[in-house]
This record gives sequence, C-alpha cells and structure tokens, in this order.
Amino acid sequence: MTEKQQLIIDGKRVDGRRFDELRPIKIEAGVIKNAEGSAYLEWGDNKVLAAVYGPKEAMPKHVQDPNKAIIKCRYSMAPFSSKEEHGRSGPNRRAIEISKVTKEVFENVILLESFPGSEIDIFIEILQSDGGTRAAGITAAAVALASSGIPMKDVPFAVAVGKVGETLILDQNYIEDSGSDADMPIAMLPRTNEIVLMQMDGSLTKEQFASAVAMIAESGKEIGRIQREALEKKYKQVSA
Amino acid sequence: MNMKIIIPGDKIADGAVRMENAFVEDSKTYATVLGLLDEQSKAFIPLESVWYPREGDSLIGVVENVRNSVAMVNTNSTFRGLIIGRRGDSESEMNIGEVVSAFVREVKREADQIILILERPRKLFGGKLIFVKPSKISRVIGRQSTMLRQLETGTHCTISVGLNGVVWMKGGDVQLAIRAIDKIREEAHTSGLTERIAKMLASEAIK
Repeated sequence: MTEKQQLIIDGKRVDGRRFDELRPIKIEAGVIKNAEGSAYLEWGDNKVLAAVYGPKEAMPKHVQDPNKAIIKCRYSMAPFSSKEEHGRSGPNRRAIEISKVTKEVFENVILLESFPGSEIDIFIEILQSDGGTRAAGITAAAVALASSGIPMKDVPFAVAVGKVGETLILDQNYIEDSGSDADMPIAMLPRTNEIVLMQMDGSLTKEQFASAVAMIAESGKEIGRIQREALEKKYKQVSA
Repeated sequence: MNMKIIIPGDKIADGAVRMENAFVEDSKTYATVLGLLDEQSKAFIPLESVWYPREGDSLIGVVENVRNSVAMVNTNSTFRGLIIGRRGDSESEMNIGEVVSAFVREVKREADQIILILERPRKLFGGKLIFVKPSKISRVIGRQSTMLRQLETGTHCTISVGLNGVVWMKGGDVQLAIRAIDKIREEAHTSGLTERIAKMLASEAIK
C-alpha cells in the first residue's frame, strides 16, 4: 500500500508529469529501405520499430481468404528490451496476445477487400520497453502502414489510462504500470472516435471509465499531430 | 500551386465524389492513402500507393511455372499473371525463370484470387532486374518518358519499365543506371528532378 501512495506525490507523478500528460513522442517514417512502409517511434523510454510488407500472395495457401486480404502481425520484444527476460524461445503468451489484438485493430482500418487472397505483414519490434508498448506498437505500425500506401480508412493511435488510488493517469510508464490499480489501453480512430481496441486490468467505475475514454480521445489529438508530422516530414519539399 | 499533404482518413471533398484512392462515408469523401491535394482543382495525387492493375498496363515479370502452354508469371505483386500461348508454337513457348514484359489484357476475378490475363509477351534475355515501388515508377518514366529517354542516352542501357515496379536493364553502364534510379526513388516527390539526374549522369558517366 505504501508503494502505491508513492506513485503520486504532491499532485505530481513519479516522473513529474501532470495526470493527463503524455510522455514525449518522436516518430520517424520510412526508416527501413526494404519494407513497403516503416516507422521508428520513441515514446518516453519506449523504442519501437515497425515495418509493413505486402500485399503479397498469402502463404500457405489454406490461410487465403477469397474475399479479402488477411493480416499477419508479429509483435516481439527484443531480448535486450527490458530487465525481464524476453525472446528466449520465440513468442511467448503475452506476445501472441498482443499480436492478435494489434491485428484486429488494423483489420478495422485497412481496406482488405481490395486484395483478395493476399496477406499484409506487420512487424512490431520493441527495442526498449518502459510500459505501454502495445500502444506504442500500434501507433508506430499505423504510421508505417500510412507510409506504405496500403489503402486504409484512418490512422489509428493507441494509449493507456491507469488508475492510482482513485486518480486516473494517462500513459503510465513501467513503474506506474506495475503499481497501478487499473490499466486500460485503448486504440481509437481519430476521425470518428471509434474504439478498435480496449483491454482492461483491474476495475474502473462507470464515471471513471467515461472520463478515461475522454482523456484518451483528447490525447489522440496530440498523438495524431505527431503521426501526421512524421508522415509530412518525408515529403516536406513538395508543399514548400 | 497550393498543395496540401493528406494522410489516410483526411476529408478531401465535402460531397460524395467517386475517385481513386478515396472512399465515401456519410456523403463525404475521405482519402485512403498518403497524397497531395491540389486545393484549387481538388485533384488528389497519391504519394504512396499499391499497384492495382488495369487493362493496358505494361508489366515485367518472371515466369514461375509453365503448364500446357500456359505460363504463370510472378508480377512482383499479389496478382499472378497468365500468358496463354498457342499450343505447338515453339516461338511463344515460355520457360521457367525467363523474364517477360507484357500488357494486361484482362483483370479477372477468379474463385480465390485476382488473376491477370496478359497479352503481347516479349522475352527479355539477360540483363538485370531492379525493383522500385510502383508509386515511384511514374517518375522513372517521366512526363512523356523524358526521364526514361534521358536514362537510356546517359547510360547507354536498354531499359524497360513495368508499372508493377520492375525495371529491366541491359548493356551500357548498368551500375550508373541503378544509382540514378535509386536517386529517383529517394527524391521522387521533389521538383526539378530531371535536371538533377541529367547533371548526375553527365558527371558520373564513363568517358
């Protein structure tokens, strides 16, 4: 209990942020030459590389869908990404879960019907982790997809809200994440505020849930601006 | 020109406009790819896109399989090409591994995938293949193929370009041609590229 109280001292969080303040985010698009689209993201102490390949013929043949493309997503933490062990022998239970939910985020966004029988590969590699890597991974993969030219309806973003005591905090880092009473990562489409991913550990009241979603929608404006800037930077000379 | 950079999901027209690289929702039109919007003419030019074949497109591919005088062509995309040859015609016979250039006669939706029926196949012997993103190919060709002609005269290569993003080149200074195409790929979105490539070809060509 004492540890939890230390997460908020004098109305400030462990790293001095306000409750609704994001960590600094930096995105660069088009960093991998061989990929169709790619992005490198730094979100606080998270470092994420995302790459997109395809659409190409889906293999093995039995996974093909005659009506639309399928998405294969691989989220992976580099063995050196955190103090805990990762990557000793392929994807673990957690990585498989995050790969699945990330895939479902992008199934809602990409116009899959244009490419029947194909597959689109999304690779997310966490190089350094400090809490909230699934949100960082989705945000990076969204930029990678947009820079690939694969048709999509929106550029999604993701971020988490946590609860310490009765206070909601946006975008927890690792210390806050492991000590908080609730953790709810959400991915949204900024154009319609549709929720395409929602997971939750712990519990929130109805009111807390509503204000958490509002907090995330608000922070999406900031994240969306950074995503847009990353994509625009690649082509700055045209409009100038 | 007043160009605005558009990312997927941005509104490009207030009404429902039927156009490429866009979709309509609630009678408004939104972009599906990264592109440039000309604010006066409301034209939307994609900066990145995936090649979606149309009838009459030229392409370059590699023969993957031949069965009963039908050759299957890998087109460097999710679409497989078919060249239907005449039986017993040894001249039009294809062999596995051969590079061919052809035109799309028909985009056919088969039971499990989209297949391209190809026509006017031409075998390309020897040479080197390089791959460029299909959205950058229009810059490699240039307006009225100025860039392509310039590359050919500057490097003395024979160059053939497919809209599927495959470039075949033979003879001449292939290494210089590859460097030039790399430069085009990197700077495809900038203006004055033809002059810069001309300068590069002039300074680096073997005297």
